[in-house]
Amino acid sequence: MLPYTSLFYPGPAQLVNRLRRGGRRGAARALVIGLMGVAFWAAVFAGFYRVLRYFNGVPVFGSFLAAKLLGMALLTFFSILIFSTVIAAISSFFMSEELQLLVASPYDSDELYFVKLCETVLTSSWMVLLFSLPVFVAYGVVFEQGAAYYALMATGLIPGLLIAAVIGIAIALCLVTTFPAQRLKDVLFLFTLFLVIGLYVLFRTLKPERLVDPEAFFTVIDYLTSLEAPTSAYLPSQWLSDILGVYLFGHDAAHLVFNVLLLWSSAAALVVLLNLLFNRIFFSAWSRAQESRPVRATMSAVFDRLIRLVTRPFSGRMRAVIDKDFRTFFRDTAQWSQLFLLCAIIGIYLYNFSVLPLDKSPIPTRQLRSIFSFLNMGLAGFVISAVAVRFAYPAVSLEGLSFWIIRSSPMGLRGLLWCKFWVSFVFLALLSVILTVCSNYFLRVEPSMMIVSTATVLLMTFGLTSLSIGFGAMYPRFRYDNVAQIPSGYGGLMYMMCSVLFVGAVVVLEALPVHLLVTSALQGRQPDGFDWIRIAASFSLIMALCAAVFVLPMRAGLRRLEEMETL
Amino acid sequence: MIKLENLTKQYGKLLAVDSLDLEVPAGQLFGFLGPNGAGKTTTIRMMAGLLKPTAGEIYIDGISVLREPEKAKRICGFIPDRPFVYGKLTGTEFLRFCGGLYGVTASELEPAIAALTRLFHMDDYAGELIESYSHGMKQRLVMAAALIHRPRAIIVDEPMVGLDPRGAKLVKRIFRELCGNGITVFMSIHTLEIAEEMCDRIGIIQQGRLVAVGTMAELKEQIGGADGRLESIFFKLTGDEDMQEVISALRL
Repeated sequence: MLPYTSLFYPGPAQLVNRLRRGGRRGAARALVIGLMGVAFWAAVFAGFYRVLRYFNGVPVFGSFLAAKLLGMALLTFFSILIFSTVIAAISSFFMSEELQLLVASPYDSDELYFVKLCETVLTSSWMVLLFSLPVFVAYGVVFEQGAAYYALMATGLIPGLLIAAVIGIAIALCLVTTFPAQRLKDVLFLFTLFLVIGLYVLFRTLKPERLVDPEAFFTVIDYLTSLEAPTSAYLPSQWLSDILGVYLFGHDAAHLVFNVLLLWSSAAALVVLLNLLFNRIFFSAWSRAQESRPVRATMSAVFDRLIRLVTRPFSGRMRAVIDKDFRTFFRDTAQWSQLFLLCAIIGIYLYNFSVLPLDKSPIPTRQLRSIFSFLNMGLAGFVISAVAVRFAYPAVSLEGLSFWIIRSSPMGLRGLLWCKFWVSFVFLALLSVILTVCSNYFLRVEPSMMIVSTATVLLMTFGLTSLSIGFGAMYPRFRYDNVAQIPSGYGGLMYMMCSVLFVGAVVVLEALPVHLLVTSALQGRQPDGFDWIRIAASFSLIMALCAAVFVLPMRAGLRRLEEMETL
Repeated sequence: MIKLENLTKQYGKLLAVDSLDLEVPAGQLFGFLGPNGAGKTTTIRMMAGLLKPTAGEIYIDGISVLREPEKAKRICGFIPDRPFVYGKLTGTEFLRFCGGLYGVTASELEPAIAALTRLFHMDDYAGELIESYSHGMKQRLVMAAALIHRPRAIIVDEPMVGLDPRGAKLVKRIFRELCGNGITVFMSIHTLEIAEEMCDRIGIIQQGRLVAVGTMAELKEQIGGADGRLESIFFKLTGDEDMQEVISALRL
């Protein structure tokens, strides 16, 4: 028997059983997710391929820019990996259910460490690795590299991943010794969210579009300064970057072997050091992670009154569910913190419209404003569908394992779904009005266009709310660690695909009436009889489509929930 | 009060509950016994409206759970074996939520919450988030929630799991008092001593079929058993050969 077989066995065995149980439906899901993964992979590859081709064609600076980009990409991957490992390590080292059994058994500390290390490395790094591969492959293709480059890449990547994972696990171990594990997950989640929002806002305010506008810079030095990225001889991502640079950009090969050995020896040393740290502090950290203390509800009297005010228009049962949903939403860090992300999205969205250089365009401004306003309907639709996947899609799944309470009550599933629908709709409709009215205000469009686009986006919101609640009910995920996991499965993917198709179809159907209305307004005349027939026909089709998208997903979701017998 | 007619549940090839016929009159505490996998929880979940039967009917006070589920659920309380509840609510808020679901009026709700909190000895922690409760505390909370709307029938799956001796004694007393007030309690249970002590009538299910039903005296008369205790009757009906094997294996 292999030395680590006993502790390694449950993970792969569970995976195999899950795949076996999936059946034909599971295979179809895997196929769709696989295809989407391939599409995303291809898009990343295509993006990097184009950028690198462009860089490669730039004399003198080309390889410099490509090397800079590689360094930045590796540093980003390395940082993301450390961060995702911290979160994954808290789950696998302290929160996973089988640990109760393992720690109570006469386990070997080194064996447990090794198993958990492998598990954490795999869970935290597979996605980063998968989606970083097209970047490396794009470099290999553009700079015409052979097998040696890919072999060297693998040689460098494995210890690189290991180093990042070990650092992440060490941070998690130290953090759990100091703070309670459950709270720590909340804090880290919040931190990640603020980090993402910060990067998003920073990226936008840096105005990356200036990089393709040479007039915006006075000198080459200015241009290069704007590309400055942190590099350090002590960063493992830099060692890997130096290794790959030898093949890709013909950099000095003197330190190639040294850098490879440095990566591998550092990884090995860190694995051993982490083992020592693990043996020293794991049990006390794990014991601390089990402790729970009474938590008083933090809800001010004002907020309590506000909830009562908001729920007043609803009847008894609906009011009870909405009241409960509000309270749980604002007490769950993973849920309320997403509001910050939403605010950032709205802010950047409107900022983009406020800085549009419309006056520089050769197309007449009035016409251009109408075109933008028209496109804005689609854009707002996509933003609302993305927000709905975060807030409305998980609404049913958020009932979690407590779903039995609703099912055994006289509430009925229909009542529950409509309750979730209306709360989500009010929230999304408010968002859609803010996005459309404010962006149209920045565009200074005609009042008729303002009315048409706001009405269309509101209609789309009806459909999108139904789609998100309906798909959320068709593919509920009642067992989850974090609310962010809920839309990440097959159902969320299907919802996004359908919502994109729906928004696209509405925009296409509306193109004709908008064209007729704008053209006649620009020509200073009223649309003729035939125009009105075509406009009416298009709007009727839009109404029919929205009605179908409003009714069908809710009906399918209800049917699926009623048939469900798993809880 | 509770009537099961030809109740059947099939999961693929597995017949979990096989043509179950049973009647429990008002004010009776009925104990539902059976080995693991016999079909107890499946039966109870069908009665609570969580599972759809393959065939048969369930009536609560003459109302069909299948045809008029909302009406039937309004007069019924359900206590599951695993008390999964919303961790981000406090105990009081959870009771208020359940009261709202069952249409309890605002004027009745607050006194009912206060009374149930006192009855289940939850005053000290009712204002804390449920996520910090122990299993036993959650179990008491779920029991209190099942009583918030003054049900006429209560369906309970393994009520004693996770309760300390004090909690178990309290629950036994409450259930007996409820039956004294004309409320019917249908309870699945594993602890034979408690079933023998508490229940007015007992039904034993084996491989989805009801193999015996009656009062303790009736069961003794029908089945016998070595010492006339429920344990002997249970093993006689469900087969004690396996038990002997287990005991021998443990001795090894």
